[in-house]
Amino acid sequence: MTDEILKVRNLTTRFFTEEGQVNAVESVDFDVRDGETFGIVGESGSGKSVTALSLIDLVETPGRIVEGEVWYRDADLAEEHRESHPDAVDGDYVDVRQLPESTRRWLRGPAFATIFQDPMSSLNPSITVGEQIAEAVEVQRRARANPRRTRSRTQGYGLGRLLVDSVVPSRDYVSEESHERAVELLERVGIPDPEQRAEEYPHEFSGGMLQRAMVAQALAGEPDVLIADEPTTALDVTIQAQILNLLRDLQEEEDMSVVLITHNLGVIARMCQRVGVMYAGEVVERGALEDVFQNPVHPYTEGLLGSIPDIEDPAPRLSPIEGNVPSLLDSEMGEECYFADRCPKAMESCLHRIDEHEAESTVDDAAHHVRCVLANREYDESEALGPEAKQEVITDD
Amino acid sequence: MISPRTLRNLKKELRSSALAKLGIVLVLAMILVAAFAPFIALHNPTNQDLEENNLPPLGFSRTTEETSSEMVNGSLEIVNETVRINATASHPLGTNSLGQDVYSRAVYGARTSMMVGVLGTVLAAVLGVSVGLVAGFYRGRVDDALMRFADVSLAFPSLVLAIALIGLWGRAAVDVPDPFVALGIVDPVRAAFGLPTGMPDSFVLPGTVIIVVGLVNWVWFARIARGEALSIREEEYVKAARALGASDARIIGRHVLPNATTPILVLATIQVAAIILLESSLSFLGFSGTTLSWGFDISQGRGYLSSAWWIATVPGLAIVFAVIGVNLVGDWLRDALDPGIEGEGGV
Repeated sequence: MTDEILKVRNLTTRFFTEEGQVNAVESVDFDVRDGETFGIVGESGSGKSVTALSLIDLVETPGRIVEGEVWYRDADLAEEHRESHPDAVDGDYVDVRQLPESTRRWLRGPAFATIFQDPMSSLNPSITVGEQIAEAVEVQRRARANPRRTRSRTQGYGLGRLLVDSVVPSRDYVSEESHERAVELLERVGIPDPEQRAEEYPHEFSGGMLQRAMVAQALAGEPDVLIADEPTTALDVTIQAQILNLLRDLQEEEDMSVVLITHNLGVIARMCQRVGVMYAGEVVERGALEDVFQNPVHPYTEGLLGSIPDIEDPAPRLSPIEGNVPSLLDSEMGEECYFADRCPKAMESCLHRIDEHEAESTVDDAAHHVRCVLANREYDESEALGPEAKQEVITDD
Repeated sequence: MISPRTLRNLKKELRSSALAKLGIVLVLAMILVAAFAPFIALHNPTNQDLEENNLPPLGFSRTTEETSSEMVNGSLEIVNETVRINATASHPLGTNSLGQDVYSRAVYGARTSMMVGVLGTVLAAVLGVSVGLVAGFYRGRVDDALMRFADVSLAFPSLVLAIALIGLWGRAAVDVPDPFVALGIVDPVRAAFGLPTGMPDSFVLPGTVIIVVGLVNWVWFARIARGEALSIREEEYVKAARALGASDARIIGRHVLPNATTPILVLATIQVAAIILLESSLSFLGFSGTTLSWGFDISQGRGYLSSAWWIATVPGLAIVFAVIGVNLVGDWLRDALDPGIEGEGGV
């Protein structure tokens, strides 16, 4: 199939801290198709955000992407690197991680754009909103005009010039067209009176407006993939809905793919066609929204869905998942399924490493993968792990 | 660059603080005196007149023992006579041991102090901020190497380091033509006011001193800039800029530096005062390339403190006012620009 814009394979990111090695993202596989919204859901600390940062190669020390491939479809790039980087090219796809750094940087913006969680701190407080968006437009306009993908898109903008510019304000670097385009973009994302607002500083914007401005900035490069890392978490509920509607409308108009990262199952249900559920750095279940939400196989997914209040059938008590997220320290992680100690259906066969299995799918053309033994067998009570055995799972390593 | 809010804060702080007003008056006065020295000085500061040496300032007088010999009744008699020397109106602050006008020398000394203070600070800031931003932004080994080097240079007493560097490089000075004299407007204006003409047509810029004070004081800027870079690099907007494909140079110049300007600016004002003091110390010790300097005048007057106190006192007061003025302006900027720090300087 060639309608996947992004294929992530075996992505593994670790943090090498003073306490030891932390396995933040472990062998993550998923695909993102053209024009779809792929959701990544999981609780805090499950590795969602690190996955997003790994896609655009922005994991900071002490973190490092240890292995894995991020295949991105771009026929021109593939053609260009077929000779020089044969390992990094497969058909129309290039493995972003094996490309030279200058090309990877070139891809940020025109290929992948990112929206972060907290719009209040995602814009530079000392530059006007319009100027920041115009600069993003300009940088990416130059990037497109420079097919050799060298560093020269910042030509005429070396450190010396930057030092001078910070003392003597000048708009020479950013062209008039880019300024007009910035105002256009602000209008696109539904900011009233965009010309006026472009001249204002971030502190004069409200949270929702800032997130709209962030979206405008992300659109500056006309990206193929928009990575939205908890785009609504820091916002009021009413504003959340507006931003989600905006994202969906823009996605349709621009024909972008969106990777939506959230801990909110409601947002996933409303926005996504396919979804991956993350737990302890692994994607434990992924597939079409219908499969994952209606016929969950992994007990963790079941547990997540069971902890949402249902307005149609208000249960007296919600059924939360017992226990806590396991430590991601390598030295404290065993061989068994990481969810075993909290899993209501843990069995003896859960005590060794679990691979991804294909589970039943009700949707055509959408595989349903589960990292659980229950994918191809039924729960057998005679094999069940008792509470003591579960306790051992936690303590024996 | 300067947002309306910043401007508002500056004005508000200025209204409420009498010390800030005093500081601005002192600094402005010093800048004006330094800039228009050829019009403000009464005499050419280097003109010597041994007939009129050690003249006291207006309102004071000086007594001196004069010995004369006289032939009285065929024998030589030595007569000791106490002579009172009075101030003259043409030298209102007196003259020094060479008969140079103390007031005019103080006026020209302001030029040296201002030039060294400002240029030295600019040099120190450019060096220190570049090093500090790079160290703080890249962290790791780059940071360790640069900041340990900074610590080592900080371990030397700054005056000793400065003297060592001047000893190494000599006391190079640059003759800068005085623009007003070059335009030919000084003499006519002075003549119109009835002042003596023939002012110095060039001004000696102590080049080595400027470079040395810059090299001695860059560490403070490096430390401040590094601290700011360390915190700003973790800001979400830096991550956002990187996600949009910005280069390191762009992030440092466009996102880190502008958000670090406030503490750097405040430090720069205080450094101007520190460098004025350092320059005075150096020229007092005779390590400057110019003789038109407050420190040099103090060292000249040191030997006459008991008989002609004004020679050292006038340039000494000039240093006091300049340093107080610059420090008060620094306090004002800090209180106005950085609301996080509770003002100690404000009244």
